[in-house]
Amino acid sequence: MKKTISLFLGSLFAFILSATVAYSAANEVRVAFFLEWATPNQEAKVKKVFDDALGVPVKWTNFATGGEMTEAMLSGDIDISYSQGLTPFVNAVNAKAPIKLVDIAVTYGMGNTTCIVSNASGITKANAAQLEGKKVAVPVGTMADYVFKETMKVVGADAGKVSVVDMNPEDGSAALQNGDVAMACLFGGKSIENALKAGTRMLSVKEATDAGISGIDITSVTNKFLKENPGMVQTFVEITHEYNAKFRAGKSNMNIIAKDAAMDLAGTKKQMGGFGFPDAATIKSKYMNKGGILMKYLDVMGNMFATAENPALRNYSKVVTTKYLP
Amino acid sequence: MITGFITFFTIFAVVGAILYGRRLVKTEKSDAVFGNPERAKGGIHWVVVGSSFLLLSWLYYSWDIAKSFYPKSANELCQVAKVNESLLSLKYLFPIVERQHKSTAIIKRENTNIENKIILIKNDSNLKSQDKEIFIDILSSTKLMIPSLTDERYLEDETQNIINQLTARLNKLTENFPKDTYPKLNEEEKYEINEGLKKQLGWGATGMEVPPIPESTRGLKFHAAAAELNSISDEFFEMRNHNPEYLRKSELIFSEIKEYMDGLDDGLELDYIKDIKKLVRRIEYASIFPPKTLDELERAIRSFDKVQKKEQGNLKTIDIFLFPAGTIVASGPQCSEAGPGRWLPKPSDTFRIFGEMLKPSVGYKMIPMLWYEMMGVNRIVGFILPDWIADIMPGKYPVHNQSGTVDPNFKSKILDIVTGEFEAFKIPVPTGHIWDSFLRVFLGLMLGIILGVPLGLFMGLNRFAKGFFDPLVELYRPVPPLAWAPLVITVFGIDNVGKVFLLFMVSFSIMIISARAGASGTQLSKIHAAHSLGASRWQIIREVIFPNSLPEILTGIRVAVGMCWGTLVAAEFLAGTTGIGFVENVARKYMQYEVIWITIFVMGMLGLIFDLTIRKIIDKTIPWRGKG
Repeated sequence: MKKTISLFLGSLFAFILSATVAYSAANEVRVAFFLEWATPNQEAKVKKVFDDALGVPVKWTNFATGGEMTEAMLSGDIDISYSQGLTPFVNAVNAKAPIKLVDIAVTYGMGNTTCIVSNASGITKANAAQLEGKKVAVPVGTMADYVFKETMKVVGADAGKVSVVDMNPEDGSAALQNGDVAMACLFGGKSIENALKAGTRMLSVKEATDAGISGIDITSVTNKFLKENPGMVQTFVEITHEYNAKFRAGKSNMNIIAKDAAMDLAGTKKQMGGFGFPDAATIKSKYMNKGGILMKYLDVMGNMFATAENPALRNYSKVVTTKYLP
Repeated sequence: MITGFITFFTIFAVVGAILYGRRLVKTEKSDAVFGNPERAKGGIHWVVVGSSFLLLSWLYYSWDIAKSFYPKSANELCQVAKVNESLLSLKYLFPIVERQHKSTAIIKRENTNIENKIILIKNDSNLKSQDKEIFIDILSSTKLMIPSLTDERYLEDETQNIINQLTARLNKLTENFPKDTYPKLNEEEKYEINEGLKKQLGWGATGMEVPPIPESTRGLKFHAAAAELNSISDEFFEMRNHNPEYLRKSELIFSEIKEYMDGLDDGLELDYIKDIKKLVRRIEYASIFPPKTLDELERAIRSFDKVQKKEQGNLKTIDIFLFPAGTIVASGPQCSEAGPGRWLPKPSDTFRIFGEMLKPSVGYKMIPMLWYEMMGVNRIVGFILPDWIADIMPGKYPVHNQSGTVDPNFKSKILDIVTGEFEAFKIPVPTGHIWDSFLRVFLGLMLGIILGVPLGLFMGLNRFAKGFFDPLVELYRPVPPLAWAPLVITVFGIDNVGKVFLLFMVSFSIMIISARAGASGTQLSKIHAAHSLGASRWQIIREVIFPNSLPEILTGIRVAVGMCWGTLVAAEFLAGTTGIGFVENVARKYMQYEVIWITIFVMGMLGLIFDLTIRKIIDKTIPWRGKG
């Protein structure tokens, strides 16, 4: 009997402990980021500029998808997600996750998130309807998923009839090379590079841009961190913009960025060439304003990925704030 | 309602079963001593207690008990959470949530930062001594700038006024809050809330995690207070303690920095001065106030906190006892469940959604969970018979004639049969996520048994086989099956073949080990007995060794089933279009916790069914186990 009681108390204790750990404030800032996704502020990351400017150590953790970033934010392991895709963010706020969008990290054309159709399948834009019933590798719930759905609309195929295989970009590009799938929708420099060895883009970068398909990556922060350390969020955003400006002026140290992004120099330059890092004024006037690009995207995507359990929000401006932009 | 009934029922069941168990022990006349397996027989009542406990903790930790007994509590707690959220920023300034005043913590941290920077600069051999001097000078004056923020003499009247005003507003709120007349809403606000309430669904309804618009008068109070607190908090944080003395000093520092930076090229010096600039800016942003200035405000916050906690009344008790290990949190106008209520869905919701998903027209991602489809026998024949049968038939395939038709001949007719191109009656065939997963496990397991058991027996009986296969098996067996997954998927593709092969690898090694252990563990006396009765080798294997190793083999199968399920789900995570693992992985990305639990539940159930079946087989085939 004694043992039963002690076991019961022990498990109860474990429960309480796990609850308190999630709520206690750590004396460091924990940031999530992507590998193979080169951004100018990685120079600041390597040079420990963030640590200096925030006055506390900054711990960077890399993730495979934006959805995992959200999971970590919900469990209290991550404070700031840098360069989270808009799609996972929308999924998170549809599920009422307490996170907020504070900045636009990267805007990009289809060069860096794209659908690549295998050469062996003989499918092109002209006969894209043949994809129906075939297998397509898509990392579900990411920006690539959004690009997949939009691309299908452009080429006139029914995305609902395509058999979607849920795969991460690395696996998707391998599956395309093996001929397991007819098309793979991917993001990330190396994955796209590998996939292009066995396939071609369904839509060229220009065609995609003309069709209005482009991606936005954002910076999201947990509500709790925002309330506790508004100054730190502001500083984080400010440094990011400072290094973005440095990149626009051509003064970034590309070697450092390439190494930190786990890519080679040429690949990094090519990838970043396709990236846009809008400055604060542009974000305020064009993206995050009422009816701005970002707000439209949020509405479209919110409805695209809504489920019965997690319906789209009526108004996404509640989860977006421009307060922290420099 | 149903949940409430179930809760009571399970509690009664637990109590009843325990009482029954106690009585049974007393009345039972059994001469079985401790250690006798007879003593472990029976005991359905303990199964009832075990399952009831499981169900009760699920109901309790998923907050379903709270939902069924106090369905309005989530909505009210949401309003309380709004108040807590609006107070959060202000509370962080004082030792309410944290141990120190925020000003204290910042000053302490920044003083350390400044000192560290000075040491760094002093020790950097790449800097010129004249630069060093400038840097240290700036840093020292930055340090001296802090007192201008913390000295009460410099505090501006205007700042003090704002603080006093905010404190007064807060006190007024504290005073009004308990009154019945609070809040006084205007018509427009009332209309807005009423309109919102018309559309609002209940707690946990599809698409409504926590209803955010206040439904009760108590909720309305908190809702209104949260709005007022938010405005107080916003106003406070717009204010900065930038008095003339501070501005004078900081301007001096910034101009010094600017002067130094003017015309400076990229390099070490620029990096340093930028870092220093950031440090100064950080102090500019921080809400640092003289030590006593905010005391009144702190007192006001504390007294409001006390009042609002008192106003919560029984809600506080409900929160503590019926919302274990978490609570409702607010994020702006929305509320969500934080803690187990979020990731442990309520049984009622889970079963409702499961029921929905079981409908073949709904399913998950347009594939039913478990259903049937009508499939022609021809397709099954075409699948089973290899196509090359037609190729080895005599003759040639027909060529079209001049009239533009094709006359079938014997060879082409055979081809039609082996490829399934003929009319036949249809039979129902199971389909769906559950069936796909089940089939993969079943096939992998069967292949493992069919190939592994003979090989294992062989290895247990034959020196060559043991020596030859041992290195092979022992090398691949300890590797976790998932380590093979990327390779297997590359070689065999993402279809069923790859997954079944992976499962085969899992079950194969387990079957070999268990069959081998069974074969080599046969009692020598039995084999001798069979020999002396004139049994042949084959007879010995069939009649003595195989039955003797059956217990080991069947235990091996039970182990293999568990391992196969584990591996299958992970393999379906990697690449999949159907299957339970696929469903779980997709649900995870859309944060459908109910669906995740459904998949876990289904897997548990399937595992249980598998295990029960094997237990039945064990009871039927080796009833003598443990008695020999």
